Amino acid sequence: MSYGEAVLLGITALAAIFSTIATYMAIMEKDLLKAVIFSAIQSTIYAFIYYMLMAPDIDLVYIPVAVGLYPAVIIALIKKTTREEKP
Amino acid sequence: MRHWVGICVLILTILSISFVVATNINVLVLSTNVKELAKDYLMYTYYPWDKYFTAMSPEACTSIVWDFRGLDTVFETMVFYLAIIGAIALARGIPLKLPREVKGELGLSLIVKTVTKIVPVLIIAVAGSIALHGHLTPGGGFQGGATAAVAPVLILVVFSQFYLLKRGVNKNSMLLLRSIGLTGIGITAFAAVLIGLATGHYAFVLQNQPKPLAPDVSLPAFVGGQLISGSLWFFNFFEFLAVAAGFTIVFLLITLPEKLVKTEEKEQVEEGEKK
Repeated sequence: MSYGEAVLLGITALAAIFSTIATYMAIMEKDLLKAVIFSAIQSTIYAFIYYMLMAPDIDLVYIPVAVGLYPAVIIALIKKTTREEKP
Repeated sequence: MRHWVGICVLILTILSISFVVATNINVLVLSTNVKELAKDYLMYTYYPWDKYFTAMSPEACTSIVWDFRGLDTVFETMVFYLAIIGAIALARGIPLKLPREVKGELGLSLIVKTVTKIVPVLIIAVAGSIALHGHLTPGGGFQGGATAAVAPVLILVVFSQFYLLKRGVNKNSMLLLRSIGLTGIGITAFAAVLIGLATGHYAFVLQNQPKPLAPDVSLPAFVGGQLISGSLWFFNFFEFLAVAAGFTIVFLLITLPEKLVKTEEKEQVEEGEKK
């Protein structure tokens, strides 16, 4: 493995850790709109990881679905119900 | 910040698992070589020297999805369309139409609208490129369709639903487009059989290039010097139409203004009582 490859894989690993943090925040957040934004951040990082792991095919379907369509569905759902998560 | 403890525990767990995996890589990871099956797929995806096993497409994913395991993808497509039929059935009897009077300006501010006038054109262009080049570069019908569906969602949010309905993007026109896509997929799947019936040769459903048992029937890999990989281009194009239209229907139904529907229902009931 060359030096450049190692650096790129390291960046990918760091991105994976950040995606885990974003997932944790999305689960713990009581304001559901913020939770959707955290989930979208996680999806954006995943799109980057798919690209780095040389899976452009799945990336092309993942970006519109996970960053565009899925938050749109959840935001429409939040608009029709309540914004705060009740205990 | 009560989240910090949880985040620290998470990071420590990830780092410790990574440490264990990295230090025992010979035990945990079985092989670093490419498997024989994967090698075969990568070699035969574009291999004009052996017509019986190749899909004639340099894109391995598309050739696997629509040729090597085409029947699986047909069933996957069916699942997606059943889901959309379910969504349409849930919203049965609800008319998607313009309100009698619109109060004030609909949608978001002028700045957002001006930007959004440009962006959907770009999205549709990129989506078309992803779908129509699906047999040459990464991408394909579903990817292109999902990308194209972002444009109507953007317009729905920024310009309101009535902007789309006024321009003819409603449930019925999208259903028509989706049905055209589905019919196209069906015809492409049976194309080789139809050619075989016409010429009196043996052929398979979902056949693309000639096969050992059906050597006389094949769909053209090149049209006018351009590589279209037989059935793959048609599958990608029709799947693009069907997926984009299907997602648009679902979003039109999801963003339906509930108040409008409820007042209309009330009016209809009252009219019925008068009669």
